[in-house]
Amino acid sequence: MRNLPESWIHRIAAELRRPVRLDEEFDRGVMDAVRAMPRHRQRPWTRMLRARTITVSPVVSGIAAALLLAVALSAGHFISAVRANRATGRIDVATDRSGGTKPGPRRSVQFVLVAPTARKVQLVGDFNDWDGSHQEYHAQHRGGGVWSVTAAIPEGHHRYSFVVDDSLWVADPSAPRVLDDDYGVPNSAIVVGGGDATQ
Amino acid sequence: MDQSTDAQIVARVLRGDAELYAELVKRYRDRYARYAMHMLGNREDAEEALQDAFTRAYRSLARCEDPERFGAWLFRILVNRCRTIGARRGRRARTFVSDDVALYDAAEEHPAERSAWREEIERALSRLRTEQREAFLLKYVEELGYDEMSRLTGAGVSALKMRVMRACERLRELLSDVHDDREVRVERRRPEVNDAKPS
Repeated sequence: MRNLPESWIHRIAAELRRPVRLDEEFDRGVMDAVRAMPRHRQRPWTRMLRARTITVSPVVSGIAAALLLAVALSAGHFISAVRANRATGRIDVATDRSGGTKPGPRRSVQFVLVAPTARKVQLVGDFNDWDGSHQEYHAQHRGGGVWSVTAAIPEGHHRYSFVVDDSLWVADPSAPRVLDDDYGVPNSAIVVGGGDATQ
Repeated sequence: MDQSTDAQIVARVLRGDAELYAELVKRYRDRYARYAMHMLGNREDAEEALQDAFTRAYRSLARCEDPERFGAWLFRILVNRCRTIGARRGRRARTFVSDDVALYDAAEEHPAERSAWREEIERALSRLRTEQREAFLLKYVEELGYDEMSRLTGAGVSALKMRVMRACERLRELLSDVHDDREVRVERRRPEVNDAKPS
């Protein structure tokens, strides 16, 4: 192989960076598909009520947490996750993870991954909206490179994966694989139900 | 052209103004068509992937966590649609873009020569492994950092660096002859320019 200068790669990239033009026919195709779908009907205040991350001082975070708890109890709602990050003074407030979109009973499921070089392993799946940031989805190191986490999973079919060191998505080697339509990476499949499941 | 920010448009679309989604389509279609075209190698598949990404994004718009970064969110969906469509196509030969001159800017000094050069690049690109082509395009054409690439693809940073390096090596290998020919042509043209100067 002959060596070409590094700048040549940049010339190739510059050529590939030239814009590609699509015409209005494409726009019409997209909008026809959009019009065929149900319209969104979000109320202006809906987005204000959704789960989000806010940054407040530790004092305010304590008051906010107390108020939220009081509101939640008085309204008869269950708030499953109020997380305070003491190191940064940040508080994350997540709304009901226990079944807004996944009703029905939950079962305790143990997930295990062998990852000797990992520093952190989280469980993500359709049961937590692919968000493993909550403590209950953090796997614990059991020694010998074995990580495990036991989580309450709603009964039914689920897709899940492990996230190692906040960046590497790893499918469970002991479970069947399924290609995720939205994210394109292979995930694992599990069916929860009919007694406690152990993966 | 609507001067509203992406977040303002997303908010209005979510409140029921579906027609405004056309503005988001117009903003992102050409830039993202470029990625899809290079990734999938032909206009038909690229348009399918892009249209799919736009319609999926519309359907899930309420789940867009940060509407100000709608473009980045849409791009993630597109990257995964390209993977899915590429995988679904299986081993069918990847056609390279050879007749899309009209899709690019027409203002070129030597259109025929440039077209041939672009064709060679596309041909070489089509011969890269899918994950190498993806990493190369994200790094050099879309100019993303490795951390963002990692978030986008689910692959680790070191793996991505390796893919980019392999892609560059392979492109050098595949295009070294073209590079030599092109350099010779450029050298030949220079004296003609000098001769044309009045003495």
